[in-house]
Amino acid sequence: MGSRLGGIFWSLIFLAVPVLGVATFAIAPSYNIWLPKNVSEHGSSIDGLFYFILALTGVVFIATEGLLFWFIWKYDAAKAKGPATYIHGSHTLEVVWTIIPAATLLFLAIYQMNTWADVKMRRPAMAPTVEVVARQFEWRLRYPGRDGMLGTRDDLFLTNDLHLPVDEDILIQLKSMDVLHSFFLPNFRIKQDAVPGMKIPVWFKAKETGQFDIVCAELCGWGHYKMKGRVTIESRADFDRWLEETYARQEATQPAPEDTVAAAAD
Amino acid sequence: MSTATASTLSHGTATSLPPARKPRPVAEFLSTYVFSKDHKVIGLQFLFSTLLWFLIGGLLALAVRWQIAWPWSDVPVLGKLFAQQGGQMAPEFYTMLFTMHATVMIFLVIIPILAGAFGNFLIPLMIGADDMAFPTLNMLSYWFMWPAFLLFGASFFVEGGAASSGWTSYPPLSTNVNSAPGSGWGQTLWLLGLTMVGVSSMLGSVNYMTTIILMRAPGMTMFRLPMTIWAMFITAVLQAFALPVLTAAGFMQLTDRMIGTGFFTPEGNVVNNSLASTGGGQPLLWQHLFWFYSHPAVYIMILPAMGMVSDILTTFARKPLFGYRPMVYSIAGIAGLGFIVWGHHMFMSGMNPALGITFMVSTMMIALPSAVKTFNWLGTVWGGRIQFTTSMLFALSFVSMFIIGGLSGIFMAATPVDIFIHDTYFIVAHFHYVLFAGTAMGVWAAIYFWFPKMFGRTMNEFWGKVHFFLTFIFLNGTFFTMHILGAVGFPRRLADAYHYETFHHLQPLNAFMTYCAIGMVASQIIFAANFFWSMFFGPIAGRNPWNSNTLEWSAPSPPGHGNFDFQPVVYRGPYEYSVPGVEKGHLMQTDPPNALATAAAAAH
Amino acid sequence: MNASAISLPHGHDGHSHSHDDGHHDGHGHHGPVLQYQPGLPLSRGKLIMWLFLSTEIMFFAALLGSYVVLRFGAPVWPKPHHVHLSEPIGAFNTFVLICSSVTIVLALESARANKAGQAKLWMLLTLLLGTLFLGVKGYEYQAKFSHGIFPQSPRSRIYEKPDLYYGSAVRARLGDPVIIDKLKELDDTPADKLTAEQVSARARLQQIRKMVASPEQQAFDLAVVADQVMPLPTEGPGGSHAGDGGGHGGHASGLNDIFPWLKLPAVIPGGNMWASTYFLLTGFHAIHVLVGLIVFTILLGYKLGPKDAGKIENAGLYWHFVDLVWIFLFPLLYLF
Ligand code: HEA
Ligand code: HEA
Ligand code: CUA
Ligand SMILES: [Cu+2]
Repeated sequence: MGSRLGGIFWSLIFLAVPVLGVATFAIAPSYNIWLPKNVSEHGSSIDGLFYFILALTGVVFIATEGLLFWFIWKYDAAKAKGPATYIHGSHTLEVVWTIIPAATLLFLAIYQMNTWADVKMRRPAMAPTVEVVARQFEWRLRYPGRDGMLGTRDDLFLTNDLHLPVDEDILIQLKSMDVLHSFFLPNFRIKQDAVPGMKIPVWFKAKETGQFDIVCAELCGWGHYKMKGRVTIESRADFDRWLEETYARQEATQPAPEDTVAAAAD
Repeated sequence: MSTATASTLSHGTATSLPPARKPRPVAEFLSTYVFSKDHKVIGLQFLFSTLLWFLIGGLLALAVRWQIAWPWSDVPVLGKLFAQQGGQMAPEFYTMLFTMHATVMIFLVIIPILAGAFGNFLIPLMIGADDMAFPTLNMLSYWFMWPAFLLFGASFFVEGGAASSGWTSYPPLSTNVNSAPGSGWGQTLWLLGLTMVGVSSMLGSVNYMTTIILMRAPGMTMFRLPMTIWAMFITAVLQAFALPVLTAAGFMQLTDRMIGTGFFTPEGNVVNNSLASTGGGQPLLWQHLFWFYSHPAVYIMILPAMGMVSDILTTFARKPLFGYRPMVYSIAGIAGLGFIVWGHHMFMSGMNPALGITFMVSTMMIALPSAVKTFNWLGTVWGGRIQFTTSMLFALSFVSMFIIGGLSGIFMAATPVDIFIHDTYFIVAHFHYVLFAGTAMGVWAAIYFWFPKMFGRTMNEFWGKVHFFLTFIFLNGTFFTMHILGAVGFPRRLADAYHYETFHHLQPLNAFMTYCAIGMVASQIIFAANFFWSMFFGPIAGRNPWNSNTLEWSAPSPPGHGNFDFQPVVYRGPYEYSVPGVEKGHLMQTDPPNALATAAAAAH
Repeated sequence: MNASAISLPHGHDGHSHSHDDGHHDGHGHHGPVLQYQPGLPLSRGKLIMWLFLSTEIMFFAALLGSYVVLRFGAPVWPKPHHVHLSEPIGAFNTFVLICSSVTIVLALESARANKAGQAKLWMLLTLLLGTLFLGVKGYEYQAKFSHGIFPQSPRSRIYEKPDLYYGSAVRARLGDPVIIDKLKELDDTPADKLTAEQVSARARLQQIRKMVASPEQQAFDLAVVADQVMPLPTEGPGGSHAGDGGGHGGHASGLNDIFPWLKLPAVIPGGNMWASTYFLLTGFHAIHVLVGLIVFTILLGYKLGPKDAGKIENAGLYWHFVDLVWIFLFPLLYLF
């Protein structure tokens, strides 16, 4: 069954998997189809971890797919002589190929914990910089105003236009009014679901100024795709000026919201 | 366990024989092909139904791909049928498309084709039984699929369209009727359909377990079972223990929607400017319950394929399975660990991050039994004499593709990396590699392999290989590229992502993937034609066209009612290929030991 | 592709007397009656019953797990007395169910001992006890319903706190034309036709109506209204309700109890979620009881001799399971 040529052809098909697979990953960055620019402090350790796992799995990928190709190539019934090896297994091999991956994976598990703790567990001790309330289909922002406290008369209200200072610890208080959303900042390697009924802290530090996307990454209804915001990172001075101007504009266009109304949103 | 006494042997099959019927033509037809209690007929009923839904799921996938590649452009055919704005897709229609695509593929295709079609057809045959332990229950398990087919099918045509809160159906989006245009009857029918699938699977799974425990042929000890049966057995255990949780959760979601019990709705929830009438519940509770089922479910969706692929690999490599016992233990390990890793779907959900760490560690560990399996498959191919049948090509590609899907799982298991890639196309790449490139390829391997036993004829090898070649190329074109798309952070479930600065340059790549997906679906025409043509005109296959060892190959093709025309007695494990000193090279499980002696004598 | 490379150990001979039962299969093969090597010393029926019960365990585990999560995640949870649960009734029902587990065992024993008549009696008794359980459960449900405790959209008559929503619900109820008529009737009833309790309740109700009718809704304390409508008794003997101004703590007769037709919205913190979980758990349990009763009824149609012992045993297994679930539910719902 199957001529010799058939065997060669099919082996090469299986060889194409690791070859083209690696090639895809190799050329993707040059087409800008790769991790977007990182501008947060913790992001580099996430990226580092990504590359580390890419290398690790890459080695496993090339090795296993390579072996598969090699065996298919070599042990083609039309080519190889004599009967197949009559063997039921090897105890030693089983132990080896259990222990090595086990050790590797355990190492990986422990190695990454620190980064996870930095991003999700070691919350900086500070008052929230801004409160983000997700809602179908927009991001409602609330800055604490001059007194530095949320829920007071001088709170500043905005939608979808988040401004934050560079090189400072930022603590966001994330809430949702209706359904689940997810606060995704690709360039900051930040993602956190917003859950109605919960207040979830999100923190990071921006390294660079600029404008970036806020993406909603959890299905929240028909308008999920357009729940888009922008985050502007600027110097402290610019940020303060922007805060003043926006506050003045808010004062001019509408009466300060009642404390009670603001509190009711909690 | 191994030596059966005469008394245990004699208590027998009388209970499982179908009642006598008078041979009237219509009644005869109905009882043979429609309300049959014969496990083989039920298996084929499952096979035909699921293949039909496979086609529907594939077309839904194409519609999904169309929108991603060319957002808001007129959809061919489907657009005329469904969409409102002159052939152009509405955003809520898109959410419905991928929800129903996943629902159809998972609940109406992959789970029932593995457990329902192949489980039914193969279990009694491979253990030497004449039928399932409870044929009527077995028939019911198929007939409970029909309400599910009808409910899911009908949901496309109700006001507001079918369910559209993702196959994960996260509340409050799914429970609050105000939250989405499609959240009317569609979601309710979806939940009811799910319950029906649940009942069907439950009936099937307890029956399979009973059959495998009590109805093995003399000599068929547990450790002489083919891997297919081991996989089916452990899959049945998974179903029996995980599925009731989803049924309970589904019911709670149903009452949340219908009478406002509020299990999953927090206090003071304002959706679409109106205050939810009930509250006090927890949205995350649903996620825990859902994934408690649905993580084990992903193994329900691959273990049987792993088992079948093991049997196919050994047959066409003409080699004993490498490490039979480790293979069995690793299936059990996957199943056991599968119950304690569900939280890896919830790393970003607001669940306590410390809990996330424990789920991360257990998830890393679940890669181990998979590693053992992968290496043992490689060990099986090593030193073999590979026959490149279509079935073998699909089986080999299962191994090759499963490695890709499994390795991407490691990225996501790493919690910090998951922060970035969660809910991006990286995930979509991962699960299509394990589900489509893995399981579906395994299913094709199994179809080409057992087709002769099912219909007594073999499928056309040439067109089979063309089918394999095209599917293999196009599937990698579609799904491999999703990894790099995910590396950019391209989010899943977005009807149109190009208005984001980060993603607007990715349209050409998506168009390429859509072309490949179209090619992939189109290639299935070859398969369908081959399938139906071979059913009637394929070359007649004997009892054992592949020179395989397991019990079903000693029965006639197709087996008659009662399966065996002799009493099968098992003398050895299922993987005795290339046995030295045996002239025909392999020893079937039923070959008596003296055949070995004669064969050995003949060889000298 | 050689089809004949198979050696058949027993060929077509041997056991092929088989099932020539008039059934004609499509392919014309008639196999022998096959022999098996069972892995467990159990009949098929019993094994599948055990397996089925293990799926049921997971089902109730999910429900109970959800209950625990929801209860301990809730800021407040009502005490059993706040929601009119009565421990004695619950305990009585527990007793009834345990008795029925005993009687089904006795039915099995009798059937095995070939005393079909006795078996029938025990089975009937089991059926009656099960029915009694459901009857008591129904009575308890009725008590909840009459206090407005049930999960329903938009809301049952239970409110979390005496807030503005509560106030407007009270006003809406008092403004209902049917109630207005009834109230008028009550106002016109001479005092000697009423009990002392009713007289004082009428006075309090009139006060509330006055308050609610006044345009300054902030002028009165809705908490007091809530307390009048359905006072929440404190635990323990002689204790009185905290913040209780009316001096009627301890005993739970609010306006709704004295005038059952009034059906005013009541405040029970955590009451809605409590009702949801209570009806979920006890409801699914009751459905299982009902299924058991149907099975018993069907079994009563059999002779119940030794031949039917297997059926009784399976039904009994199921019934013990249903009993066991209740043993978990009773303390969780009534005692803690
Ligand atoms: C058949 C289905 C299937 C299978 C088998 C798997 C297998 C695995 N899955 Fe997958 N998964 C899904 C189906 C499946 N998954 C689906 C459908 C989703 C998405 C649901 C949704 O959100 O809609 C999902 C999502 C998903 C997530 C959530 C991602 C997110 O939403 O953010 C995670 C996270 O940990 C994960 C991990 C894993 C891991 C670690 C495995 C492991 O079992 C894989 C183990 C295998 C290998 C690792 C390869 C072979 C091993 C070797 C060659 C040895 C050497 C390897 C090393 C040393 C690294 N999966
Ligand atoms: C088993 C599961 C399965 C399978 C097989 C597939 C198959 C495919 N899926 Fe699937 N998909 C999911 C499960 C699956 N998917 C899930 C769980 C999701 C997540 C949904 C969510 O977010 O909620 C998803 C989401 C999803 C998305 C993401 C949508 C989004 O997030 O916005 C995309 C996009 O490209 C996609 C594409 C495809 C394609 C092109 C195929 C193709 O491979 C399809 C190919 C189809 C065929 C090849 C049909 C073959 C037909 C036959 C063989 C019939 C022959 C007939 C006879 C003989 C009678 N899928
Ligand atoms: Cu908000 Cu998606
Ligand atoms: Cu999972």
